[in-house]
Amino acid sequence: MKEAGEVRRVRPAGYAVLRAGRARFLVHRRASVVAAVCAVLLAASCLAYLCVGETFIGPAEVFKVLTGQPSPDELVVGTLREPRMVVGLLVGAAFGIAGALIQTVARNPLASPDIIGISQGASAVTVAAMTFGLSSYAYLPYVSVAGGVVAAALVYLFAWRGGLHATRFVLIGIGFAIALRSVTTLFMTKGDYLVAQQAQIWMTGSLNGRGWAEARPLAWALLILLPCVAWAARAQRTVSLDDDTATALGVRLGRVRLGLVALGVVLASLATGAAGPVDFVALLAPQIARRVTRTAQIPLVTSALLGALIVVVGDLLARRLFSPTELPVGVLTAAVGAPYLIWLIIRSRAVRTSSARSGGTA
Amino acid sequence: MPVRPGAVGAARVGALVAAAVALVLAVLLSLAVGARAIAPSAVFDALLHGGHSNAAEVVRGLRVPRTVVGVMVGAALALAGTVLQGITRNPIADPGILGISQGASVGVVLAIAYLGIHTLTGYVWFAFAGAGIAAVAVYAIAASGRGGATPVKLALGGAAINALLVSVTTAVLTTKASALDEFRFWQVGSLSGRDADLIGQIWPFLLVGVVLVLSVARGLDALALGEDVAKGLGQRVATVRIVGGLGATVLTGVGVAAAGPIAFIGLAVPHIARAVVGSDHRWLLPMAALIGPVMLLVSDTIGRIVFPPSEVPAGVMTALLGVPFLVTLVRRKAVPA
Repeated sequence: MKEAGEVRRVRPAGYAVLRAGRARFLVHRRASVVAAVCAVLLAASCLAYLCVGETFIGPAEVFKVLTGQPSPDELVVGTLREPRMVVGLLVGAAFGIAGALIQTVARNPLASPDIIGISQGASAVTVAAMTFGLSSYAYLPYVSVAGGVVAAALVYLFAWRGGLHATRFVLIGIGFAIALRSVTTLFMTKGDYLVAQQAQIWMTGSLNGRGWAEARPLAWALLILLPCVAWAARAQRTVSLDDDTATALGVRLGRVRLGLVALGVVLASLATGAAGPVDFVALLAPQIARRVTRTAQIPLVTSALLGALIVVVGDLLARRLFSPTELPVGVLTAAVGAPYLIWLIIRSRAVRTSSARSGGTA
Repeated sequence: MPVRPGAVGAARVGALVAAAVALVLAVLLSLAVGARAIAPSAVFDALLHGGHSNAAEVVRGLRVPRTVVGVMVGAALALAGTVLQGITRNPIADPGILGISQGASVGVVLAIAYLGIHTLTGYVWFAFAGAGIAAVAVYAIAASGRGGATPVKLALGGAAINALLVSVTTAVLTTKASALDEFRFWQVGSLSGRDADLIGQIWPFLLVGVVLVLSVARGLDALALGEDVAKGLGQRVATVRIVGGLGATVLTGVGVAAAGPIAFIGLAVPHIARAVVGSDHRWLLPMAALIGPVMLLVSDTIGRIVFPPSEVPAGVMTALLGVPFLVTLVRRKAVPA
């Protein structure tokens, strides 16, 4: 660190200053380039998503539909593929941000909503709702948000002991995940065969049959949460310092952590409500983002873009690989994500844990 | 475990006797309680004198097989958990958390979906193969890299393998709809509807597993002191781990094939047993083999009467009872990261 007097004028390496009127923003150069590249890739994948399918439709026709001109392919592109793609984009972005926030707080790349029981909580409650005859997709999002939030609150509560020890948090989360999964399988046996099949597909995370009905509430929720995400991007930096430094700087660590986790949980549960628990997106996107940008914190924008990219490309493959059978997108993300998680574990150094507030327990 | 040296033998024998008595009580409960409550006297009557009353038929035809399978599965899972915790020197090892149960499940799913195997003797082999592959994979993942197989790495490796295997299972079940209907009932982990034939099919495997596990008891004691000390005491560490791991895999395969993936028995029972008889595996293993069935039978019996007329499967009950246990364990101990 520089002397305090110089800090105002010194620009950290790799950063550029953006001036807008009197406000100034520090922008990480490499991160901006990466985000731009991700955005371009995402746009290309979206175009591919709209073109490829049972029938191939040329980009020219797709643009016609998107710009609202009359076209014979209005039905396939505008009604079938476009809304489903939008849900995929939103779900992926939500999972990406959620994963980034939770991983930042846990200081552990391995803490993600699908490992610490949040997704399982959402699943258990949702499958229960399906079993008891609530099969319309209109209410499911609210149900699963409630389930995810309650599960997360329980894990947080039980892992709290004079502070939040990352290891304790992850282990208790894994325990909850197992128990909630068994509750889910219990409800699977209660309903009839058709409900079981519907629940099985939902539990894996699928965009099948998703459309504007799911996209709209999700888009609104994300818009409303946007200011919170902006706050989170700033708060993240203080949390990624070590505890003593952050406390010395006057950061209320406990509150900031709780806020970040809460935001992450809400986003993850919203996404789960719309498409089911799409495994590993929340784990993968932030990790890739961090590796590519080489920043100290996990970059939120890039995580969101990469999450969207993973889900859109994953769903495109899931639709086409075994056609005419359509796989749930979650099968694909898990098939890619689990090996990556394994690689992470193998490469992981001793996990850094926060020791400052362990309340005297060694 | 602070036990006075003089009292060691007597106290441990007393504990084993107490556990055996608890097991007898659990068996009686399991025979007497259910949709139709049958008085213990009638239970004894049915067992000793036969007879063809309704109560006697229920006891002999339904509850005896179910209870015996429960005893076998409970003992198998508890022993598997004890050995896994010993091999990995890790307090939160258990067949479910390490993904071994899920491995056995995938073996069974593949057998049901693609090979048309619907009998237990048929798919028990697939359960073994799946459990073995998963066990080796998880340990290899956790042991590689820096710091060796720490609790967190093992748990996460298990979570990763679990997720991967669940996605395989789902892919199979979405493409093979016919398998789902059979599988979803087995997947929960339950003792209901298990008949006497099953007992005849699983006891040889159970015996093999028990023999393997007991043969490494001394080795596990030495291993608890650390690898170097164990080597210094003349134990072949690798052999102990392989034989013990094989035993745990066989026992998990037996448990999962017979009753589906039942969670948390393998996690909780070793700790309870350790609290009672200390950490000497020659006492610990028999104790676990007695407490495991008690826990499973009590869970199963509670599950029968919670929401009459339907049953809550034993696998769900053990999970619900197991979570508080795990939470307490993790909160009490500082688990090394």
